[in-house]
Amino acid sequence: MLACVDAVARALAEPTRRTILQLVRDDECSVSEIASHFAVSRPAISQHLRVLQEAELVDVRSEGTRRYYRARPEGLSELRGWLDEFWSDRLARMKIEVEQQQWREKKGQRSREDS
Amino acid sequence: MADRPTSIADAVTTSVRVEAPPDVVFEFFVDPEKLMRWMGRDVDIDPRPGGRFWLDINGSDKASGEYVVVDPPRAVAFSWGWEGSDLVPPGSSEVSLTLIGDGGATIVELTHSGLPVGQDVEHLKGWTHFLGRLQAAGQRQAPEV
Repeated sequence: MLACVDAVARALAEPTRRTILQLVRDDECSVSEIASHFAVSRPAISQHLRVLQEAELVDVRSEGTRRYYRARPEGLSELRGWLDEFWSDRLARMKIEVEQQQWREKKGQRSREDS
Repeated sequence: MADRPTSIADAVTTSVRVEAPPDVVFEFFVDPEKLMRWMGRDVDIDPRPGGRFWLDINGSDKASGEYVVVDPPRAVAFSWGWEGSDLVPPGSSEVSLTLIGDGGATIVELTHSGLPVGQDVEHLKGWTHFLGRLQAAGQRQAPEV
């Protein structure tokens, strides 16, 4: 899960990629349509699109030699799983702390009873 | 998705069984020293409805909100957010816990609700920030568990 979060966090950290996601949010766009919104070179845009695709934030469809991109809304919602893990880890830690305390108290009681 | 630019994600839910009765477990959500043992390096809490709930998770990431429900030993809830986060600002989501007695043990059920999800540029920025914090918290915590 961390690898997935890493990829998404990295993909979203770059302002150009956030703007690209905004552009392809509602409608799919070809690479040249996307590139026309930016001053940077087309290969640079293709590189950004690759990062977004690897993070599974966009879907790509090929038609002839053209490639069309569209935002993949599920991409972000998958991160919910990471939050699940965050809380599961925390509660697991809480369980350990409570049970250790219980164990120490019981042990203390026993040694008092023994003496 | 155009029709839900700031929609609310499904709640995150998880539960754990603890081998101690509810009154003992409850203390770990309202006693600063006990809360610190599993949740952070420093805490500043006032466990009554409307009272402060503040945690320093790892020295740089701070969670902040207010207690909403304090009903020993059955239920506790607090609002939750991250200091400095636009997406999940302090107090913007809610974490609620239910403690169910089971013999001498307790089932702890956690629900984290009200988390925003969106594809707006502003929200994406928020996610980056939020995830960075969670990730840092998770990684730093992992070796200790």
